[in-house]
Amino acid sequence: MERTHRLELFPDRSVTLLLFQHVKNAAALRKKAMEGSIDGALINPTMIIDPFQILVAANKAVHLQKIGKMKTRTLNAEIIFSLSPSNNISDAFKKFGISDSDTSVLIVLVVDGDKTVNLADIASQVEGQQVSLDELPQLTDTAKVKKMYKVTPQEEKIGTLLDSVVCRMSTKDVL
Amino acid sequence: PVMAAAQAEAGGERSVMAGPAGPAMDDVGPVGPAVGELRAAGPAVGDSDGAAGAAMVAEEPPAPPPLPGLRLVQQGAEAHVYRGLFLGRAAVAKLRVPKRYRHPALEERLSRRRMAQEARSLLRCRRAGIPAPVVYFVDYVTNSIFLEDIVDSITVQDHIYSVQKSGNDASGLQKLAEKMGELLARMHDEDIIHGDLTTANLLLRPPTEKLDLVLIDFGLSFISGLPEDKGVDLYVLEKAFISTHPDTETMFQALLKAYAATSKKSGPVIKKLDEVRLRGRKRSMIG
Repeated sequence: MERTHRLELFPDRSVTLLLFQHVKNAAALRKKAMEGSIDGALINPTMIIDPFQILVAANKAVHLQKIGKMKTRTLNAEIIFSLSPSNNISDAFKKFGISDSDTSVLIVLVVDGDKTVNLADIASQVEGQQVSLDELPQLTDTAKVKKMYKVTPQEEKIGTLLDSVVCRMSTKDVL
Repeated sequence: PVMAAAQAEAGGERSVMAGPAGPAMDDVGPVGPAVGELRAAGPAVGDSDGAAGAAMVAEEPPAPPPLPGLRLVQQGAEAHVYRGLFLGRAAVAKLRVPKRYRHPALEERLSRRRMAQEARSLLRCRRAGIPAPVVYFVDYVTNSIFLEDIVDSITVQDHIYSVQKSGNDASGLQKLAEKMGELLARMHDEDIIHGDLTTANLLLRPPTEKLDLVLIDFGLSFISGLPEDKGVDLYVLEKAFISTHPDTETMFQALLKAYAATSKKSGPVIKKLDEVRLRGRKRSMIG
């Protein structure tokens, strides 16, 4: 149900994604994440088009962590920040993190190779139903994503929305 | 032998003296080496000529990235190009080759600037609807860039070879030239100068007949509105065309015609192109 991908460039890390629907305790979860009792990034799935988007963000975050150049204070925060097209950290959290009224949550865990993560433990803390990542496209708010990333109409002709989003994420700090 | 589906990095190495951003230059010298390099890196895989030339100082190649299904595609003077799976997608990894003969501070700055320019130009192209690969990851430490791999694509260079070899359908080439002209006009209208226009840096998505072009290799690109820079850009392509593909004068003419028809700013650019042609190498400047 969940999906795990090993980061090729950082073989000691793998990224696991868990998706939950009909979530009732978003506020409590948010608090737990901030306190650190859930060691994962809690993301608003309506802003996510495809798991690849998360992988690109996680890859960048891990890279920056390894070279000590993160803009935020934790890896999980950096993942959320990497998703955002803006350089404003609190804005990134507002748009890509979860808010108290959310009913769906995407949890991203970056794990050190040999450490085992108890996924059941994390899932049990969510008052909601875990669903397969295949359900993600149904949750995506494409209009909101297009607006957030300022995708141009010409761009839509030469590639997918995911292409536009990923390109902006990866070149954010170049410009 | 025809090299299929290779995103060739025929990165013409411009001399450091010419200035890293490569703006309009009076002496069209750098075009020469760029073209020469192209011939060497053209149909042949690997860069034996380039390596021999640069072998004064031992060049340590960058370590290949640990991507599954990794294949070395091209060992250009500027970068080693690999193909592999990155985060589950077919990707191209370009790892810059450090130049030991350069002062380290300059090398660092130049490398970073080239990479930033490439990333910037790729984003700018996409925003304007000009087909170019998606950027997946930029590593400022090793100065490497991970891009979308246009799977099963063929370079325009290889396509022209195969069409000319088979001897049929020269009219398809004219249509291709028109599409190229249109694409370049749109790119220049966004003030994007490619910097290394060759038929090896233009890909055709499958199926080839659709003439779905994709521009690649923006490592030497920069932003400029000057007709001179756009003219030089076209001149580089013209030289590459003539040197790599015999009997393609009409093709290039069709390209320019389509360019002029598509771009509203083409007048001064074509004028500059004519001027640059007169300037070129081995041209008598008497009078």
